[in-house]
Amino acid sequence: MQMAGNKHTIHRFDDELNEIANLVDKMGVISVNQLRRAVKSLKKENPVSAHKVINRDRKLNALEVETDDKIIQLIAKRAPVAGDLRQIITLGKVVTDLERTGDEARKIAGLCVRFYETDHHSPGDHILRDIFSMSKYVGNMLEIAMEAFSRLNVEQAFGVLRMDEELEVQFEAILRRLSTFIMEDSRNIGHFVDIVLGIRALERFGGHAKNIAGHVIFLSTAKDVRHMEADDVQQLLGLTAPGESAWCDRG
Amino acid sequence: MLTMTGTIEAGHKSHLTPLALNNQKAGGDTFEGTVGDFTHPNPRMTCRGVDVFYNNGATHAIKDVSLDIGEKEVLSMIGPSGCGKSTILRCLNRMNDTIDGCVVTGSVRLDEEDIYDRGVDVVPLRARVGMVFQKPNPFPKSIYENVAYGPRIHGLAANKTGLDEIVQNSLERAALWNEVKDRLGQPGTGLSGGQQQRLCIARAIAVSPEVILMDEPCSALDPIATAKVEELIDALRTQFTIAIVTHSMQQAARVSQRTAYFHLGHLVEVNDTDKVFTNPEHHLTEAYITGRFG
Repeated sequence: MQMAGNKHTIHRFDDELNEIANLVDKMGVISVNQLRRAVKSLKKENPVSAHKVINRDRKLNALEVETDDKIIQLIAKRAPVAGDLRQIITLGKVVTDLERTGDEARKIAGLCVRFYETDHHSPGDHILRDIFSMSKYVGNMLEIAMEAFSRLNVEQAFGVLRMDEELEVQFEAILRRLSTFIMEDSRNIGHFVDIVLGIRALERFGGHAKNIAGHVIFLSTAKDVRHMEADDVQQLLGLTAPGESAWCDRG
Repeated sequence: MLTMTGTIEAGHKSHLTPLALNNQKAGGDTFEGTVGDFTHPNPRMTCRGVDVFYNNGATHAIKDVSLDIGEKEVLSMIGPSGCGKSTILRCLNRMNDTIDGCVVTGSVRLDEEDIYDRGVDVVPLRARVGMVFQKPNPFPKSIYENVAYGPRIHGLAANKTGLDEIVQNSLERAALWNEVKDRLGQPGTGLSGGQQQRLCIARAIAVSPEVILMDEPCSALDPIATAKVEELIDALRTQFTIAIVTHSMQQAARVSQRTAYFHLGHLVEVNDTDKVFTNPEHHLTEAYITGRFG
């Protein structure tokens, strides 16, 4: 029996799909870089760099609008079905998640501006260290999720789901640790609130990376694993347990 | 591709194409049997091991096809040109008998009756299993006579009043009555394309069929007429079993409950329509409906 080709009969369809996928790739790169630069600005106590991160978030927003528009055009013109439809729906959802990660990275840059431009008072490394370690971890989550997306690698995507489980555990632990600083010295309360909001932003950043991983699984397997525990996903997909993803306590 | 350093490779083209998705589907280079489920829990017509040959055996058009058409369902048949979908449709009411050199083997049953049995009269068979063709083909008669002709020759009406009721009822069910009730005496050929097709549907249902076969019923119609016929199909589904051949993926997705995909005479896949158009099992089905075939 004749084997079907893999290119679309209408080449423009593939071109349009690739155009959108490339925009999504670009958003992923920007998003990871935004978080790195935001954390770096905090480490270097450099509010000028932080402002650049905040301004650059507009680029992510513009890319979201551009990509969504192209997605709508493609749906209207091409009426995609089956794998094409899952792909275009997934791209739309990933775009939203990436734009939100940009928002969370902007919040971290906002911390730098607050500490070193507005308040002129550093909270101290012992309080900031959790920001640094957590940002490295969630940055890795997003990188792995985007690589899984690019390669349609279900195992890699599942690994990000497991990383999110660890993230939740560490998030709780960090909150408990931060609360001890309040008990030690109530003057820390102002920074405590800011750091908690920063930690929360990073936790949300990781959550969006987890969402992207879930989209990869849906795109590859047509199975919607949102709202499922990682153990259940592993069983559903028949996956072997991924290796441990180390939480790094050093920023 | 996103690298660990966070830079994008120059000239990068995303790997994100359905190539990767397609490779996860069932099916290899040779036909290995129909995927999905060709049976129906409540079949109205069944085909088992049907082969069709043209030119006295020189051309093997349908290859060992088994397929159920369920009671009061709409089954769509899709596939590229020449795949055999119209051929198998014509098997269901023995329209292939009219083609010289055409040979049909295997079993085709309407309920439990083998329609190819020697004792079967094809005239009443084709009333029970009616057909609507691609190009509207009203008789060169009045609108009234187009619909009344079948019931009259089959003796379905005791008198003129009964015939009038059948004509009105059929035109109403074909969503045409309001448009033609004041001009029943005018030629059927004077109607628009969409109206003519609905007149042909009315003609088919006037003889109280059990199954209606539709061979690309909308391909000659404009979008609005197509929408009206699709709406009609949706309404008729509550009363009749319908098998429809169509080249429009979107139409098949809209009107049918099950979809059968044919390829080079083989029945490749039969599944719920929702599944076929969101996540088909066979890679050839995916390739065809996404336009990557050939």
